[in-house]
Amino acid sequence: MSITATRVSTPPAASVSSMGSPRALMVPQRDLQRTFQMALATVWLLDAVLQLQPFMFTPGSSGFSGMLRGLASQNPGWIAHTITWNASIVDHHPVSTNASFAVIQFVIGFGIVSRRTLRPALGLSIVWSLAVWWFGEGLGHVFSGGASPFGGGPGGVLFYALLAILLWPRAGSDQPFVAARAVGVKMAKALWAAVWALLALLSVVGSGRSPESLHNMVAGLNRGEPGWLTRIDASSESFFLHHGTTAAIALAVVCLTVAAGIFLPPRYARASVVLASVVFAVIWVAVQNFGGILAGGATDPDAGLLIVLLALLYWPLSDDRASAIDVASGAILVTQEGPPS
Amino acid sequence: MTATPSWLYYLFGALMLVVAAYSVVLLLSSVATRRALGWDVDVSHLFMGLSMAGMFVTRWAFGGRDVWELIFSLLLIWFLVRSIQSLHRWGPHLSHFLIHTVMSCTMLLMYRFPLPASSGAMSMSMRGSRLDPGLSFLLAFVLFASAIFTLASPNKGASHHGTHAPAYAMSGTAGSGLSTSRTGEQATSVVSIDQLLATPRLEDMSHVVMCVAMGFMLILML
Repeated sequence: MSITATRVSTPPAASVSSMGSPRALMVPQRDLQRTFQMALATVWLLDAVLQLQPFMFTPGSSGFSGMLRGLASQNPGWIAHTITWNASIVDHHPVSTNASFAVIQFVIGFGIVSRRTLRPALGLSIVWSLAVWWFGEGLGHVFSGGASPFGGGPGGVLFYALLAILLWPRAGSDQPFVAARAVGVKMAKALWAAVWALLALLSVVGSGRSPESLHNMVAGLNRGEPGWLTRIDASSESFFLHHGTTAAIALAVVCLTVAAGIFLPPRYARASVVLASVVFAVIWVAVQNFGGILAGGATDPDAGLLIVLLALLYWPLSDDRASAIDVASGAILVTQEGPPS
Repeated sequence: MTATPSWLYYLFGALMLVVAAYSVVLLLSSVATRRALGWDVDVSHLFMGLSMAGMFVTRWAFGGRDVWELIFSLLLIWFLVRSIQSLHRWGPHLSHFLIHTVMSCTMLLMYRFPLPASSGAMSMSMRGSRLDPGLSFLLAFVLFASAIFTLASPNKGASHHGTHAPAYAMSGTAGSGLSTSRTGEQATSVVSIDQLLATPRLEDMSHVVMCVAMGFMLILML
């Protein structure tokens, strides 16, 4: 049975109009993979609208092309050349290129919504993410040693591609966790371990463990932020300046713990998912400043939000829930009070 | 110097006018077919469409700020009461009135804290205070999520009618609740217009367009 075939039924009119008491009715069993796909589509829609900000259509150093050109520095020459080449195209045609970028992201976001266009949209999102990672994020500063996970390393947009792979539509059960449905349990666990091992590594290599570098990273973000976020930033800056190296090592330990957690029994796996979600939610707010969105001029919400989304894909589901979803009829008769909306 | 993509604002302004015009058609259809559900959403979309068209394109704006604030305050109270009534009647659930409450609240906030002049949108002038960017971002994210989940929902038309509309429960789609009191050509005409325009998919689409446009305006306010 295909879980995506699960249908929604509503209470009969008579029962709705005449009573508000408990009754038997058909309610949908939520398709978690579909819900996560919609969450990903929401982030793509946010990105598309962010691309429509006036700053994006502005040529020159104060506009989008200037931001792209700035990413070329600190990269190896041949990579920097490709980034500069792309930035010059955007600089010469700011309206047409930027409008095209926005349209692509609208197509991905709305494409994920429709079951007929889901696969092409996810495929396009993978290609687009890799292109943006190269030309729009300067390969996440991986080659310049500045890809600290505190700052969104190895590049927030890579997580869009990873999420697209893990949310690839496939009939089956969400057991033992949603991410396993698309690629299988072993591959999903391998990807999880690889991602968190990479994050652990990036936490302690290059400038990722330098107190000054971490301090400057936060200080460079807080221009134009609202007052309450600036105050949080001041605390983060002070913390990194005094305990930057310790924080980097602690983050690496957390990442390694999370990496191992998926191989443990569900109780401990859940704890590792919670740990990952909380740590990166805090980083998203206190270090990444929501990707700089609140200051205007951001192109995406940065890695923190997506890593939290990724972690939730690995939340171990109870046997009860998984078996409930897998009921062959596609709709489950339950007794519940009131309609869903 | 930030470039102002005026064509983009005209595009969104035009879309808002289309949504407002569509809401008028739905309201007329509701009267003609004596459909009791969804008219409040149509009224709110009409006012939101007209006012947001004026926000995107200055010369399309009309009416004083105080009048719009009063309208959206009343809509906010209306949808808040309907949300509470729905919760009281059906127990804890995500009522469709909630998103219309959020939208009314957003409109009110956009009038209370207009865009700074440097933001590029054309209608609002500089004022002292500014809507907290965190709240702008949160509201925009909620609206984008509403747009996506509305499109994905198997319950077409639920953004207008909820899933407990009688017509919805009978047919699986909303917007087909015709009165049986009319006869002959008049009824046929009403039926054909209603079937052509008051379709759940179009109703959902108008909600999606409104959410995206409102979210865009909030992003501009950052």
